[in-house]
Amino acid sequence: MNFTLPEDLREMQAAVRGFMLEVVEARAREIEDTNRVPPELLRGAAELGLFGLSIPEEYGGVGLGALGRCAVYEALGQGHMGFGGVISAHASIGTSGLVRLGTEEQKRRFLPRMASGECIAGFAITEPSSGSDAANIRTRAERRGDVYVLNGTKHYISNAPVAGLLTVIAVTDPARGTRGMSAFLVEPGRTPGVTIGKIDEKMGQKGSLSAEVIFEDAEVPAANLLGPEHLGYREALGILTNGRVGIAARATGAMQRLLDLSVAHAKTREQFGQPIAEFQAVQFMLAEMEVAIQTSRLLWQKVAWMVDEGQDVRRMASVAKLYATEMLSQVADKAVQVAGGMGYMKDSPVERYYRDQRLLRIYEGTSEIQKLIIARDLLA
Amino acid sequence: MKILTLVRQVPDAEARVKISGGQVDLEGATLVMDGMDEYGVEEALRLREGGAAVEEIVALATGPKRVEDALRTALAMGVDRAIHVETDQALDPIALSRVVAQVAQAEGVSLILVGGQEADWDSQALGAATAERLGWPQLTWTNELALEGDTLTGRHDVDDGNESFRVPLPAVVTTQQGLNEPRYPTLPNIMKAKKKELRKDTLDAYGAAPTVRVVGSDIQTRARLNKMIDGKDPQAAAAELLDLLRNEAKVIA
Repeated sequence: MNFTLPEDLREMQAAVRGFMLEVVEARAREIEDTNRVPPELLRGAAELGLFGLSIPEEYGGVGLGALGRCAVYEALGQGHMGFGGVISAHASIGTSGLVRLGTEEQKRRFLPRMASGECIAGFAITEPSSGSDAANIRTRAERRGDVYVLNGTKHYISNAPVAGLLTVIAVTDPARGTRGMSAFLVEPGRTPGVTIGKIDEKMGQKGSLSAEVIFEDAEVPAANLLGPEHLGYREALGILTNGRVGIAARATGAMQRLLDLSVAHAKTREQFGQPIAEFQAVQFMLAEMEVAIQTSRLLWQKVAWMVDEGQDVRRMASVAKLYATEMLSQVADKAVQVAGGMGYMKDSPVERYYRDQRLLRIYEGTSEIQKLIIARDLLA
Repeated sequence: MKILTLVRQVPDAEARVKISGGQVDLEGATLVMDGMDEYGVEEALRLREGGAAVEEIVALATGPKRVEDALRTALAMGVDRAIHVETDQALDPIALSRVVAQVAQAEGVSLILVGGQEADWDSQALGAATAERLGWPQLTWTNELALEGDTLTGRHDVDDGNESFRVPLPAVVTTQQGLNEPRYPTLPNIMKAKKKELRKDTLDAYGAAPTVRVVGSDIQTRARLNKMIDGKDPQAAAAELLDLLRNEAKVIA
């Protein structure tokens, strides 16, 4: 047993943390006010290699395994969560389907441009009528000669307004139920019949843009079918399963940042003639935050290791995602409390984290869905 | 031409160090490449990227096994290969200069970049001592460098201001904040650095036994006056503050 991250991964964490805290954080207020990530920051992320995290080296990526990716996600979580959201929607769920199921031709066509950040990716499964009930997908894909014709509406699709490529899940054979769904590689800007709706106005995670994606007789080349036809719902959800470990790692990073901010504040903020860190009420909150961080970190590290070992992580990925994101909400709440009035002000990153973190308990499977996955696996 | 850039591993500026058994205890402290040396590594890379005929950039470090991490950072930034003279002995700058000078000769380098002031010793002796051993000119506290053929030009700080210089290589150059903005190693380059050569060497080959021995260490603590000014009357408070700054702290005229 060795709990030390390899040196190269620690080095990567330091590089990403430095970029997030020094370069991105300096523009955080601008991202909040405009709901846009400045293009220079995206270029900086591309130079750093963030868009190629999960793409094999032969296609221009960094080629990290699950442990490496999650180590980077933890560092990413220590900075602006909207910015981190753009990267993780691309590098995690946006990319992993193509890497896992793509043909050599498909990989050559898309992955190098995705690794360089030229083509930002997203994953489109959610529909107005199928959120947690993901099996209730209505979007249809009908084969007509060399094309599939897609009709339907996806919504809340992260990165859709900036995406060069979306992995879209659609029904190819309604008679087969959950075994009649397929995945498609869709290039929104280059496919007539695909419209990106207006940008969603979210509570937080500014700069990470989501929108509706509307398909009206959109013709997708048959060569863009990802994986086998009717590959089914479970395989499609495999893309989400691995993404969940990454969310747990990002949540851990966010908690670490909140604790760092809280400790710094508690040591310098004086009330009743002494730093508030001297008060046990504050000390207890800091201690509880630390426990949440240590336990969440152990969980993501274990699940990432399991993924790299080729083990089935369906249950454990949910355990990690559920736990780390629920803990993050508690930690963010405590961080606001430690910061007091300052923690409620827009100038404080604590206020931003408090809004941003809430989404992690909802997307890529709500906490309740994670519990269902865990319980069903226990009772199977 | 080849460039040698010296790399030291020191506690992060925000690290809290402890003293145990009269020595600085780095257990648990975050260790990083000395910021002063980062400027040297960055400048070597920039000289090459700027079109100078730099054939190879070599990073050198001495110290215990952990120092490898700092060398890997240099490799990830873009240095071609690294040499680690592994030893648990602490070398004072004069002893260290013996290693640097010999490596420079063995490797046939014509430019040596070292940090102007080391965060571990806080001395400014290494560059000067290395130049002395080699009989090379040294340029200290540089804030601008350019290389054309075998001629190095640039600017550096002197007591009364700033000088421009021109010097034929070989030379020793000491670096400082303001020379450049060191790059972050990119993730693909961190991966590539794992495959670059990091040669291990032992100290005995250099006859560089330290003559200075550290017999004790203390953490410097500064007692604060904690003088509070009553702010009820803002004008009186401002006047009192001015008086204190002028006559007690003597920071304003």
